[in-house]
Amino acid sequence: MDPLRSYLGRLLLEDITPVVMVLTTPLAEAACRRSGLSFVDMLSPFSLFKKIDVPVRTASDQPYRLQMFKIRMVYASDIHKQDHEVADERIKLVVSEANEKTLPDLLADPPQLEDVVNKPEAELCPLWTKRFNRELIRTLSFSDHETFDHPVACLLVVSSKDKEPISKFADLFNTNQLPSLLNEGIMDPQILKHYLVLHDQQDGPQEIAVNILAEMRSTLGLNDCKLLCINSSAQAHGSDADNSWLPYKAHGLHNHEGACFLNTDDLNEIKDFMQDFASNHIIPYMEQKIRVLNQQVATTRKGFRNQIKNLWWRKRDDVPEAANGPMYTFTSIESQIRVLGDYAFMLRDYELALSNYRLLSTDYKLDKAWKRFAGVQEMSGLCYFMLDQSRKDAEYCMENAFSTYLRIGSSGQRNATRCGLWWAEMLTTRGQHREASSVYFRISNEEPSLHSAVLLEQAACCYLLSSPRMLRKYGFHLILAGNSYYLSDQKQHAVRAYRNALFVYKQNPWSYINNHVHYNVGRWYGVLGIFDVAIKHLLEVVACSHQSLTTQSMFLNDFFHFVQSTGKKFDVYKLQLPVFNMSSLRVVHEDHRTYASNADVDVSESIWQELEEEMIPSSSVVRTNWLDTQPKSSPFKNNKASVCVAGEAVKLNVEVKNPLQISVNVSGISLICQLSTTMDASSAEKGTLSAATEEDIATTKPSILTFKSDENNFTVSSLDIVLGGGETKRIQLEVTPKVIGILKLVGIRWTLSDSVVGYQYFEVSTQKKTKKGKRGAHRSLNNILIVIKALPKLTGYIDCLPTKAFTGDLQLLTLNLRNQSEHAVKNVKMKISHPRFVIPGGSSDLDLEFPQCLRKHVQSDSNVVSSKSTKEKFKGFLFAFPQDIKIQGGATFSWPIWFHAATPGNLSLYLSLYYEMESTTDIPYRTLRTHYNVEVLPSLDVSFAVSMCSSRLQEYIVRMDIMNRTLSESFALHQLSCVGTKWAVSTLPSCDSISLVETIPANQSVSCFFKIKDIGTNSCAEAADGSCGSDMVLSPGGSTDVFHISQSPIADFHYQERYHQGKLAKGPSSLLDFILIAKAVAANSSKSEQLLSHHTCQVALSQNPIWWLMEGPRTITHDFSKSCCEANIQLVIHNSSEHNISLGVVTSDGTLEKNQTIPSHESASGPGGWYDVSLENDVKAITSMKGTHPQKQSSESISPFVWCSLSSAQVDLKPNSSAKIPLKVCIFAPGTYNFSNYELHWKVHPSEAGQVDDNGRSGVGQGYPFYVTVLQGAR
Amino acid sequence: MIVCVAVVGHQNNPLYLQSFTEADDALKLHHVVHCSLDVIDERVNNPKRNAPTLNETFLGLLYPTENYKVYGYLTNTKVKFLMVTTDLDVKDADARNFFRKFHAAYVDAVSNPFHVPGKKIASRSFGARVSTIVKSFGSGTTV
Amino acid sequence: MGREVAGSCLDGVVMEMVSAYCGRFYAAKPELAAGRIEAIGFQVGHQLSERYTMDRPRFTDHLEAIKFICKDFWSELFKKQIDNLKTNHRGTFVLQDNCFPWLTHVSLDPSMESTDATESDPALLGDTAAQTTSMLLYFPCGIIRGALTNLGIPCAVSADMSNLPACSFVVRIKT
Repeated sequence: MDPLRSYLGRLLLEDITPVVMVLTTPLAEAACRRSGLSFVDMLSPFSLFKKIDVPVRTASDQPYRLQMFKIRMVYASDIHKQDHEVADERIKLVVSEANEKTLPDLLADPPQLEDVVNKPEAELCPLWTKRFNRELIRTLSFSDHETFDHPVACLLVVSSKDKEPISKFADLFNTNQLPSLLNEGIMDPQILKHYLVLHDQQDGPQEIAVNILAEMRSTLGLNDCKLLCINSSAQAHGSDADNSWLPYKAHGLHNHEGACFLNTDDLNEIKDFMQDFASNHIIPYMEQKIRVLNQQVATTRKGFRNQIKNLWWRKRDDVPEAANGPMYTFTSIESQIRVLGDYAFMLRDYELALSNYRLLSTDYKLDKAWKRFAGVQEMSGLCYFMLDQSRKDAEYCMENAFSTYLRIGSSGQRNATRCGLWWAEMLTTRGQHREASSVYFRISNEEPSLHSAVLLEQAACCYLLSSPRMLRKYGFHLILAGNSYYLSDQKQHAVRAYRNALFVYKQNPWSYINNHVHYNVGRWYGVLGIFDVAIKHLLEVVACSHQSLTTQSMFLNDFFHFVQSTGKKFDVYKLQLPVFNMSSLRVVHEDHRTYASNADVDVSESIWQELEEEMIPSSSVVRTNWLDTQPKSSPFKNNKASVCVAGEAVKLNVEVKNPLQISVNVSGISLICQLSTTMDASSAEKGTLSAATEEDIATTKPSILTFKSDENNFTVSSLDIVLGGGETKRIQLEVTPKVIGILKLVGIRWTLSDSVVGYQYFEVSTQKKTKKGKRGAHRSLNNILIVIKALPKLTGYIDCLPTKAFTGDLQLLTLNLRNQSEHAVKNVKMKISHPRFVIPGGSSDLDLEFPQCLRKHVQSDSNVVSSKSTKEKFKGFLFAFPQDIKIQGGATFSWPIWFHAATPGNLSLYLSLYYEMESTTDIPYRTLRTHYNVEVLPSLDVSFAVSMCSSRLQEYIVRMDIMNRTLSESFALHQLSCVGTKWAVSTLPSCDSISLVETIPANQSVSCFFKIKDIGTNSCAEAADGSCGSDMVLSPGGSTDVFHISQSPIADFHYQERYHQGKLAKGPSSLLDFILIAKAVAANSSKSEQLLSHHTCQVALSQNPIWWLMEGPRTITHDFSKSCCEANIQLVIHNSSEHNISLGVVTSDGTLEKNQTIPSHESASGPGGWYDVSLENDVKAITSMKGTHPQKQSSESISPFVWCSLSSAQVDLKPNSSAKIPLKVCIFAPGTYNFSNYELHWKVHPSEAGQVDDNGRSGVGQGYPFYVTVLQGAR
Repeated sequence: MIVCVAVVGHQNNPLYLQSFTEADDALKLHHVVHCSLDVIDERVNNPKRNAPTLNETFLGLLYPTENYKVYGYLTNTKVKFLMVTTDLDVKDADARNFFRKFHAAYVDAVSNPFHVPGKKIASRSFGARVSTIVKSFGSGTTV
Repeated sequence: MGREVAGSCLDGVVMEMVSAYCGRFYAAKPELAAGRIEAIGFQVGHQLSERYTMDRPRFTDHLEAIKFICKDFWSELFKKQIDNLKTNHRGTFVLQDNCFPWLTHVSLDPSMESTDATESDPALLGDTAAQTTSMLLYFPCGIIRGALTNLGIPCAVSADMSNLPACSFVVRIKT
């Protein structure tokens, strides 16, 4: 591209131009003032010549034509170095007046990548930066180390009214008021002078002026004098002045007050004057001067000899080490060369200029005049650029100049900036944007913050222009720029810079930077008073969880500060503080299923359904019969919407999380709802659609207000919580519709610390609402609810149901039901999941006091529960309240409930109440669901072992082992009962001390023995008196407070236990159940005594179907002198089973070894299968003697007696019959003998009727010890 | 001394950024690292300017700011390591050595089965190892 | 010696993983099992490629990366190189391994060398033997895909076994 066309080219053509120093008399100025202009202002528009088209001939011989030309008219008083303060003020003005322009687009959205890219290059960084650059450069004009600002000519202006004008010219140009440049001899005072007489037409006729002119011509020379007439128009006219000025307005000509007496021919006159001045005086003068200087330079410096001489001459050692080298007067050859170069530059003879600059640079370098050297380097770089050749040299020169300026320190610093600006422009012209930006960056370091901000911004733009596009650096430099804008409080610019950088950090998760940018942009917007945008930006950072605590609090505080300073409350859509976990959202609405508490809602629906299945009518039936009552059932056909009841709260559970580490208080959390009372399907559908697409609601902002407004249709609960740092809470919101219609839950609104109102809409995916059964309807968020007319509703709970109980704890509780509505409900049923733990009592039990009601003497009409209990009764207990019970509206109703902690462990107990409406309503019935969690602690472990009594028929020894597993509690045994009338329990006759065992302290275990007697078969005498009954009181205090076990609830619980302890009642003969009732020994007697009933069921007796015992004399007196003694004893055997039994008695003499051989030889006679004697059930049955038996055998090796009569006898026993088998023993010596070494082998022959389990089929019984004492009789 | 090391994923998302300075110039370091990514992109996309080290993992000095030097390293898997140092003359050998060790540490970190590729590296052991590597930087000791 | 032990252990582990996924976890839907196995392989390859390309210059083009897979990567994994690499220069590469180590223990006939066949016993997997063996190949496919993806080459890898234990992996680079 042609460098002259480039921006830098035009810049140079306009800025590096000959300067004309203007000297005016006050009167002349006054004349100009009349038309509201200073003299320079009046002329300056005409000092730019677009097409002056004059031939120019510099040092070389062939002329060239100069097209564009410009001369700078400057008052002599302005020709001096500017002090930086003034300059910086001017620059500050430029920047700050750009503020107003930037303000409007600050309100627009921040730019995105594409619209930044699509911008044309020029607009990337704002246009006023160019002006800024020029101003920055201007601050350096009229420096003494470079001459292109030195005046080329001098224009002396005298008014025609001045007294003796000629002399005026003289003292205008006297040195004491000339600029310092001339006085200090830095520049040649012999410059071209041009004399002008300014004539104001309104001051009188032109003749005076003409005379003066003639006089001047004669004295001052012929063609250096001119006459200029102005203000020739008669009266001040603003109107057509404008159009006449129009072409010149462009050149920065402003006449301030409208009064302007210049008319068109005045303007033309000025124009001609300037044209003539430029082309006929200035340019020729410069040409001529160039030639002269060139001649001198050629003579002194060109040629080999001169070079050497120059070098030698410069080698003097007394080179003063000043920053700008030795003082160069205008006579010095160096300054002449410089002038030559600059003139050549101004006349665009760049080769000539360049050659001179080169020449000069060596000299200055040798003189160590660094500042001058840098200036020369700079110019030569520009020359290279204008010549558009050898970029490398150009850059080298600029680089050189730049670094040199920097090296000489503060005096050259601003020059460095100028050089950098030119350099950067040069680079951008050549498309080397990256280098340009780096140059901008370098000079930005040298400048005060305001300037560096602008420079950094330009650097950023260059990064954007460079290829490949360097967005990150663009962003970074914008941030830096914005930062230093902020430092030099230019907030608008700061914001502009930051927000331009926003998009850079958007895509990548560089959250650190992103937060910083957003935060500052927001803050500064706030400072500027644009609060809504400020808040919009601050919202981005408010919920930053990764920042440090202090940062978070800082963000939050500023946010609140600005929000409060706006004065009004903000509605923020999707405010991220706190975070509502929408996935955890759950709507709880009660149609025909009602819940006692929130915990019950979370129980999975399937549990309820299987609990309620035979209690409620099938759901399909329900749906039809209540849907048909609806006037318009079309929307509900496909179960899209679910149902809630007017007047009953619809609850909504959601999790709230506080992402910050600071605790925030959230107030007024409430639902946004919409209740359309029109029942037609279309509106409902519309509602769903609008809800489904939550954007359009978001767009229709005022809709929130309407949501809040209609309080008469429904009421919403409002909740205040404080969320600690990082805390997550689960909250429940409620809305209570009041009228029939379609209720739509639209969203949540909340207030963050009383200042910000956040609201969020539920995303409702429409396909989510496809029916997934009741459970699905619950889980998936369906926010459309059909409100049906109010229904009666029961609320209920079990009074003081313990959460902790000891095993076996038995309590009487009451179930309280309350009907809040005004209609009555009827046909109440109850289903209990664990009847083992809870069973409903009878209506009469209510007023009984516990536990006295259980005592025997209380003669309540004991509804003895039938023993035949069906299986399904156990797995779910359906209890129908009496039909006549109706719970009236507003009435409360209580019903007794028995609680028994059956087994240790955690239990969750489900209750469901079913009731029907008295009046016909949309829903014929409802269910009240409630569930409790009970933790049952282990208390007493009771185990029983029963063994046959060896001495009596049909009597058993019971060993009861009780272990107290509690840590602290101690229990008092109260009563032991065995269920059923068949058995009688009593203490062992010998030891009554058993009753001393009253209390069992913690972690202790006792075992005690009882005797139980079968009083079913033969009702023995002592069954009559109360000494032995089915109950036995263990605690002192007599049989007065014996608990009635064959009466509800204990009996009921006992059946449950029986079922649950596994085995079902087979024959009552061989199994029996014990109930141990204990009392907790209360540490403080205040609390009512606690009753524990432990049920141990199906304790196995010895499996033998037969009993036997020996009968015979216990002491025999015999005289062994004559013969051995024979003792007749008999074995009484009773068959208690209902089968025939064949049985053999096997007596064995001597030791056990022989004893064991018996079966082998018996095997011939008896049927086989006798060997599979499972020792286990023997052990269980007769533990007592098993212990004693072996060592007795071992003690006596050979027995001193023999069984005489038979070695084995076979008998057959009918069911429930007895037989006596005589036996005879002959004894050889006196002593005490134990005739226990016999065995009974029996085999059961099952009758067709019943069958026996295998272990009872056949067996072996060891003989019981039977001691006989034989005495030596006297002769 | 090294003031900051960073691991940047192949989508220029920061995976790990640790600064070793007392002053909280984290933001500035973030900026410096973020800017250096531009240089890396430039180096990789038009590698004409450094032909000999055409596709070497070590990228050398990226970004001499006024008081920082940023060195870069680009793995085969387009993961970028950056090291910001304040010392003026860093021997290339040192930098290479540093990055080799750092790369080894990184590989072990991402080989952790619980590390999700493309997510930030949270492993504490990695951090400890990196800090030791950083401490040993310059002094020829090997970690 | 230790390496052999480790190697055989690894073979066993791979077999077991495959059989576990298609036999137990996703017995019903083999495609799901294949997906899971492939995903595991993907992660393994992803991490291994990170390690094995540690000190080597960056790849300039796809072919270099593929070559790396064939040579160094493969020999790191199997102590052997890919035997034959073919490409159509349109983004499709065929990596032929004449004796793929993880298939050496597999035989399509369950009757012979039943000990090894148990891992791929058709009865166990409820699947035909060929499909079973192809199950075994999802894992290396995943490895290759993971490695290449980590190297910045998104691709799809499929495998087919002409005659055991030779098999070939087809890499199609997504453009």
